[in-house]
Amino acid sequence: MTETTKTGITRRTVLAGAAAGAALLAMPSILRAADRSLKIGVYGGYFQESFDEHIFPDFTSATGIEVQSISEPTGEAWLVQLSQAARAGQAPADVSMMSQVAMLKGQAIDLWSPLDQAKLPNLKNLLPQFVNKYPDGRIAGVGAVAWYITLVTNTDVFPEAPTSWAALWDPANKDRLGLLALVSNSFLLEVTARTFFGGPAKLDTEDGILEVMNKLAELKPNVRLWYRDEAQFEQALKSGEIPMGQYYHDVTGLAAADGNPVRSTFPTEGGILDSGCWAVSAASKKSAEAHEFINYMSDPAIQAKLTRNVGTAPTVARSLTDLTDKEFGAASSEIAPIIPRYDLYQTKSDWLNQKWTELIVAG
Amino acid sequence: MRLEPPRRALDYAPLVFPAVMLTVFFVVPFGIMVMVSFFQRQPAGFYTPAFVFASYERFLTAFFGGVLGFSLGLAALVALICVVIGFPFTYELARARRSVQVVWLVALLSILSLSEVVIGFAWSTLLSRTAGISNLLVWLGLMEKPTALTPNFGAVLTGMVYQALPYTVLVLYPAMARLDPTLMEASRTLGAPPLKAFLTVVVPALRNTILATFIMVFVFALGSYLLPQLLGRPQHWTLSVLITDQAIYQSNMPFAAAMAVFLVLVTLALVGLSLLVGRKEIAA
Amino acid sequence: MSGLVLEGISKSFNGVSAVDHVDLAVPNGTFVCMLGPSGCGKTTLLRTIAGLEEPTSGRILIDGADITAVPAHKRNFGMVFQSLALFPHLNVGENIAYPLRIRSVGRAERVKRAEELLALVDLRGYADRPVARLSGGQRQRVAIARALALSPKLFLLDEPLSALDAKLREAMQVELRKLQQRLGITTIVVTHDQREAMTMADLVVVMGQGRIQQAASPVEIYRKPVNAFVADFIGSTNLIAVQGSGQGVTAPGGTIPGVVLAPGQTSATLSVRPEDIHLVPVGEAPLTGTISFIRDLGASIETFVDAGGTQIVAVASPRDRAEFRVGDTVGLRLAPESCRVLAS
Repeated sequence: MTETTKTGITRRTVLAGAAAGAALLAMPSILRAADRSLKIGVYGGYFQESFDEHIFPDFTSATGIEVQSISEPTGEAWLVQLSQAARAGQAPADVSMMSQVAMLKGQAIDLWSPLDQAKLPNLKNLLPQFVNKYPDGRIAGVGAVAWYITLVTNTDVFPEAPTSWAALWDPANKDRLGLLALVSNSFLLEVTARTFFGGPAKLDTEDGILEVMNKLAELKPNVRLWYRDEAQFEQALKSGEIPMGQYYHDVTGLAAADGNPVRSTFPTEGGILDSGCWAVSAASKKSAEAHEFINYMSDPAIQAKLTRNVGTAPTVARSLTDLTDKEFGAASSEIAPIIPRYDLYQTKSDWLNQKWTELIVAG
Repeated sequence: MRLEPPRRALDYAPLVFPAVMLTVFFVVPFGIMVMVSFFQRQPAGFYTPAFVFASYERFLTAFFGGVLGFSLGLAALVALICVVIGFPFTYELARARRSVQVVWLVALLSILSLSEVVIGFAWSTLLSRTAGISNLLVWLGLMEKPTALTPNFGAVLTGMVYQALPYTVLVLYPAMARLDPTLMEASRTLGAPPLKAFLTVVVPALRNTILATFIMVFVFALGSYLLPQLLGRPQHWTLSVLITDQAIYQSNMPFAAAMAVFLVLVTLALVGLSLLVGRKEIAA
Repeated sequence: MSGLVLEGISKSFNGVSAVDHVDLAVPNGTFVCMLGPSGCGKTTLLRTIAGLEEPTSGRILIDGADITAVPAHKRNFGMVFQSLALFPHLNVGENIAYPLRIRSVGRAERVKRAEELLALVDLRGYADRPVARLSGGQRQRVAIARALALSPKLFLLDEPLSALDAKLREAMQVELRKLQQRLGITTIVVTHDQREAMTMADLVVVMGQGRIQQAASPVEIYRKPVNAFVADFIGSTNLIAVQGSGQGVTAPGGTIPGVVLAPGQTSATLSVRPEDIHLVPVGEAPLTGTISFIRDLGASIETFVDAGGTQIVAVASPRDRAEFRVGDTVGLRLAPESCRVLAS
């Protein structure tokens, strides 16, 4: 409880603290271990459950640092909460898993405490795209998890797996698609640019983006559901109600392993590789513990464990891990990925959003 | 007991609590929203205090005008259908036996306790091709093969009416239960068949209640943002959906606030207008 | 026959009988008062006649035609409800013209008829008044005018005057009777006020426990009640238990000369109105008692006499009564023709 008092109190932490306090009093042996602790924000639901089960207990036994996992809301609400709390000198979580766009937006207001490379010996293992830097070179965040968004189909409705993203445009698939509703989480501009315009360079100019959007408009009659929440689509995919769409590779794989008639396909143009970063709130007073945690997570052995148990793609080169082909294939692919143009969603955020909304809302 | 007009400041004391509550939970949040709507949006996220009209300028386009018009029209249609269905239903309910009333009111209250999410998922399943009611129609031989009855405007309307109907009935119920049953009987002895008696006596006698109910359901329906997403196509997305997108997914609080302020103002204007019309009618 | 005929009308709600086998014939133009304590079934019977309740069994005939199955809106009976049931959304004129509007009568015709009816009930110039801005008596008149708008075959009123204060009620009773006589319309009023019934009715129908106890002219009901219920309900009466035979009867306080029982009967109840009992000095009458209480009402004096354990009340005007005090022993003189032997 002394730690909580030091780091500042919000109503929410008082309530959580009261519950935790009651638990601590009941178990005095854990009280000593709690001398060093860390609040870690993880996407609520599947990620939080997996980390609570597979990662955090091992981290605590390896380092003696007690972890309190915090469920993050989806979208950028967590970013808003973090920044508002930071202004009041508070950190609802010391380390948070953040989306790339949120990372960039946080950088713009110096929300992330710069990380010290000297305290992160495992940093050398990471693939270069997973180290997130401020424009001046300071490290803002380190890749936490990576995942693919791929072309998914219901195997009952599509006995043959599609091979290209172009299947989304096939008139035969009228009213059969479930796609993510927002420009900033569907990455369909990148998919369209790669599939029909040779690559992401097409998105460098606004004219190019509009051209891509016009192409994208052609698939609108095929879309049955523009989803914001994963649950909206997943059930419909399993039942065959909406038999094709874009979805998370790992989650689809787990659903298939449970016997559902679904499959995830890496199209020839590549799957969409999205990722989350570990970032430390500037208001956090647990810098040492945070570095220790991020370094731990960058260990190839831990990344391999994540891939095996959580289904995320490793943020380190495959060669550093002991993953088998099957294990690696369940989470990733050798096909070159489509990497989202996160910069666009930061610099042209409102313009893109406006054009996108007009594009899909227009009858 | 005689009611004395208040004389001393202390006589107003009972008003303090509601006044404070109204201020804390309505005036202050709305004030903050108005304030934020004039703030400067930072493209990287967040906003800085300022007094700019950028968010309102962005809103005042044909595109958002169309969305606003659709939202108002949809809410009005939902309110209209709810009142048209709910009014005769509540009339019969208020005249039913006590035990029947209790069963219905409990059922309606339990629907009211369902969140928009649950209602949305339930209806998207009910209207689906793979598990929906069309399968039942096929089984009954009324349809050739199961088809998806969503997404479309009808599905959105159905879901929203389902969501708002219990609310409508509960708002209508007290007035309906208080209505003197001899009014209908008088009308019948004066030569009106039951339906005509209902239309010429019950409906006009309760026109203020009807108007109030319509307005409440209208405002209630305006806030719906999940059902249009789950059951409709993007062209059926309401302004509330776009507000949510801006607030939650784009972190564009000034723009979300500006849209919300505009929606509240338009709603207040419409409500005021209908009250004015209602009062004139009664004076006439 | 011409007029209203009820044949064996019964009505029960969920197995509980409200009206129990009622037979009644009402000639056209008659003013009927249905009188009885609350819960006696009189309102249910009226509503059954109006068509608002369906009888469980029995028939209703008008001028020989069976109308039992005719719905309320096709019967053309005017009805005034206890609540009056004026339509709150309509003004006085619109309320009165409502039945004409239902029949799609033109506006000019409606206004004209409303004016006529308002004149009939003495409310000229009130057509544009909202009903909420009327006094109780005015509302009463509007309800009556509305019920009469279609010149109904039958005019039904359910406790129409109960909401008015005593003075206004008496005035309205007279007015209602005059109106009925002017229009010659068959009228049935339900009331629990026997004074009201006596004032207005040609035919008083006393109801109790869902049945008609007695149906007769007011004077006959008062003078010749057929049973204790009627005798007690209409005015006040002394019920005296007597023993006797065809030769004479004995009450607890002495004999009552001139009264005989039917052959074979040995006991009975006598009903004697208080004004028919005269107090005389002891020895001048065979029935005696002790005065227990005197209530002097100014216009009349009520004297309570304990005659062998039975309380007997005598009423007389001060002029006709000799001076007595509480505790005096007095004789009670009863004229045989004023003693009614009741069916037991």
